[in-house]
Amino acid sequence: MKFVENIKYFFSVIGGLTDFTIRFFLEVFRPPYEISEIRKHMDELGVKTFSIVSVTGFIIGLVLGMQSQPVLARFGAEMFLPGMIALSVIRELGPVLTALIFAGRVGSGIGAELGSMRVTEQIDAMEVSAVDPFRFLVVTRVIATTLMLPLLTIYVDFIAILGGYVAVIITQNMTFPYYIQLILDAIRFSDLIPGISKTFVFGFVVGIVGSYLGFNASKGTEGVGKASTTSVVISSLLILLIDSVLVRLTLIIFPD
Amino acid sequence: MIRVENIYKRFGDLVVLNGVSFEVPKGTTTVILGRSGIGKSVLLKCIVRLIEPDDGKIFIEGKNISELSLKELNDLRKDIGFLFQSAALYDSMSVRENLAFPLVRHTDLSDSEIEERVKETLRLVGLSEAIDKMPSELSGGMRKRIGLARSLILHPKIMLYDEPTTGLDPVTSKEIAKLIIDMQNKFKMTNIVVTHDMVVALSTADRILLLDNGNFIFDGTPDELIKSEIDMAKKFLSTSLD
Repeated sequence: MKFVENIKYFFSVIGGLTDFTIRFFLEVFRPPYEISEIRKHMDELGVKTFSIVSVTGFIIGLVLGMQSQPVLARFGAEMFLPGMIALSVIRELGPVLTALIFAGRVGSGIGAELGSMRVTEQIDAMEVSAVDPFRFLVVTRVIATTLMLPLLTIYVDFIAILGGYVAVIITQNMTFPYYIQLILDAIRFSDLIPGISKTFVFGFVVGIVGSYLGFNASKGTEGVGKASTTSVVISSLLILLIDSVLVRLTLIIFPD
Repeated sequence: MIRVENIYKRFGDLVVLNGVSFEVPKGTTTVILGRSGIGKSVLLKCIVRLIEPDDGKIFIEGKNISELSLKELNDLRKDIGFLFQSAALYDSMSVRENLAFPLVRHTDLSDSEIEERVKETLRLVGLSEAIDKMPSELSGGMRKRIGLARSLILHPKIMLYDEPTTGLDPVTSKEIAKLIIDMQNKFKMTNIVVTHDMVVALSTADRILLLDNGNFIFDGTPDELIKSEIDMAKKFLSTSLD
């Protein structure tokens, strides 16, 4: 019974999100553009997530390197390890894992912050003072998450490649420039574009889901908690679903 | 100045407002009195179109607010101050930023002029020293005062108070009531005060409306309310004497 209710709730959120997203695109191109507010949110998002994505990125590269090295060694293909680490990180692990961490850290924060503003009448106060709260609170946050996640992902990719190097030098005697050279030989332009491009979509998802659930929160502090946790669950699910579609799409556009 | 005609509002099966009508003349204070949860705040929020009534019309300065475009409505809202029950200060902003927010958004004042207006308004509510504090550092009474200062900063013609003394001790409640009177004497605004606090009602009102079961059961001056034989009015008066 609970499962059926959860499914119903999930689809009701998706329906509401669709309207919310349409409203976002109707508002986003209208001035004023609230540049300083967007910049402020981007700064906050960067500070909030910098340390956790740094640690995660390093460990992704390290563990991936350590796990893959013995397998490649069986086939005498250890020289392919740097390329394999870089390709795995750039094409899939970097974007998806960074997005999931971003959803947990930032999506829940947006849901809680806007939810709290809703139940304490701050959003009403903004509306009464003739400021459009949707533009000021939602549009700025969604733009910030959409722009910030790709930047964080590029950073995580670099850190993961560094982590991979640590895994490599545990078992092999390889200089860092040679490690980088092997990576550059392995990756192509068509490997970079899909990985980075989809993070714009993931960033948008995190921002819009957190904003939607927070902006429409009700029932006091219980509603704030629900907005926060539900935004993590919904955005994580959407990230994984969208990723599976985008991977297929990428393979069609870039068949090699 | 404010005219409310036959407002109906229901939430599911619960009828909250059942054909409410009243007028608030310019420069006067009307208090809407009633028990908690009776629909007073809903009525106040209908007046600024935060809640859409199911039926009825509301005119502010002769304009039917349900017919206004969003831009026209926002232009009108700049002339309306609204003190929320919870004060609704923006948590992420300091007191200075809270007060400056409407000025930054709606005026062409320079930074120094904004700073001066913020300080001047804080002096009015007696909280100059709180300018650099965050809302979380303020007591309930201070939050209400800062909320009032923010509502007044654009010098509105109309001021709406939603339960201005809820959650405050009797001494602070009296101070807030005095502040409402002081602001009225200074700015000559048109006020609607929604409350269940008889002290606030009797001290601030030119006229009192008693809301019960979706409509007004009393309409008169504070003196008339004191002499009223209506059961609910007597109950309110008896609680104020306790």
